[in-house]
Amino acid sequence: MSYEPKIIAFCCNWCSYAAADLAGSSRLQYPPNIRIIRVMCSGMVHPEFILEALNKGADGVMIMGCHLGECHYLDGNHITMARLDMIVELLEDFGFESERLSVTWLSSTEPDKFVKAVTEMTERVKKLGPVQGEVQTA
Amino acid sequence: MGVTTALEALSSCSGCEIAILNLGEALIPLLTEQIDIVHAPILMDHKYYGQCGDGGKSLQIPEAVIGIVSGGVSNEEHIEVLQEMRKKCKVLIALGSCATQGGIPALMNGQDSEQSFDAIFQTLSTDPGAGRPDRIVPKLLDRIYGLDEKVVIDLQLPGCPPNPAHIAEVIMSVLEDREPVLPTKSVCDTCPTRRQGKGVVDTVKRFVENADFDPNKPISDMRCLLEQGFMCMGPVTLAGCAKRGVPACIEARVPCRGCFGSVRPKGNQLLDMMNALASNGIDCMSVVDRRSIQRFCGAHGNLRPKKKSAVKEV
Repeated sequence: MSYEPKIIAFCCNWCSYAAADLAGSSRLQYPPNIRIIRVMCSGMVHPEFILEALNKGADGVMIMGCHLGECHYLDGNHITMARLDMIVELLEDFGFESERLSVTWLSSTEPDKFVKAVTEMTERVKKLGPVQGEVQTA
Repeated sequence: MGVTTALEALSSCSGCEIAILNLGEALIPLLTEQIDIVHAPILMDHKYYGQCGDGGKSLQIPEAVIGIVSGGVSNEEHIEVLQEMRKKCKVLIALGSCATQGGIPALMNGQDSEQSFDAIFQTLSTDPGAGRPDRIVPKLLDRIYGLDEKVVIDLQLPGCPPNPAHIAEVIMSVLEDREPVLPTKSVCDTCPTRRQGKGVVDTVKRFVENADFDPNKPISDMRCLLEQGFMCMGPVTLAGCAKRGVPACIEARVPCRGCFGSVRPKGNQLLDMMNALASNGIDCMSVVDRRSIQRFCGAHGNLRPKKKSAVKEV
């Protein structure tokens, strides 16, 4: 299969971005399909970011934050979780499979978990195939 | 002689033209001194191919300074008319929610068009019925488009119907060569109802029961409908419907339906509303018909056929 999906990963500055960093410096191998965007907290990822990413042609979106209860801002990832059910439902309304979104909680010392999440997500999106995004005209 | 103006209606109901007429007294000086309507199929007799069909084979719209187009783009004729309007008019104004964001016709974007046509042209209980027309009538596009998805639009004037005062303001702004002064805030910003804080609401009710209010008291004595637990689209909807100081639906003591479209330019009412509910601890799943939140803005890819879960591996 030659299709290589593009996956946007929103990583929180304090845990998952550090985990990605550690995965890199530990020379762990993971699929090159993800594009990491560092955000200060997973709680600041507005649903619009996710929809925008999919509309503009990303095949999948990952949100990665700290473990629940370990948020640098106390309850940022609880906000992420509260929005999550809503976003998963709404993605179908906007014509995207809900599997195109995944959420992972990991700490900065878990690069192996980061690698596992990225690998799984890449596999999952490969099965779904390319996204049917919005085609802008004029 | 006023400034030449051409009006055109695409996939619309003529309500926007009625809104122009609803200017009332103010329309008379506008028509007699300021503008000169050269083409308006809905309001006056003017034909595309000459009055007696002697105007040649291609569609003709006279040159005009101001072009006002209502309705979205749903078939090939609409594209042709719209492109001719763009060519002939210096300033092109999209009038009404259909023109700016698809409007009611764009509700069709939310379902599979093949299925819709089968439902329209064929029934299970009778004979095979007529096929889908493919000649004489213009071919339908794959979905309903807002005008700005097809041509460059200079001024957007949403509303279902638009506020006559804004129509006058937009026309005057073009005549006076300045930016129009239009509302940019949300319906809530212009709403006088009483807000007491978020309270205990954790689910959203359908509007099958009446709101709690005293008909003998003014609107400002009624509690905010969202706080009463009704799905009021005020927070995410652009203001402008308030003709007598109160948003039109609120004045009738019913929740805002969201007809002016998103308060944020290019925003998404459904997403914004659900996000607002979710972050205030209200159960989003209690909104039964949430896709209908997009009832006035189905163009720009906001409404698409629903996609259910994973596609099987090939």
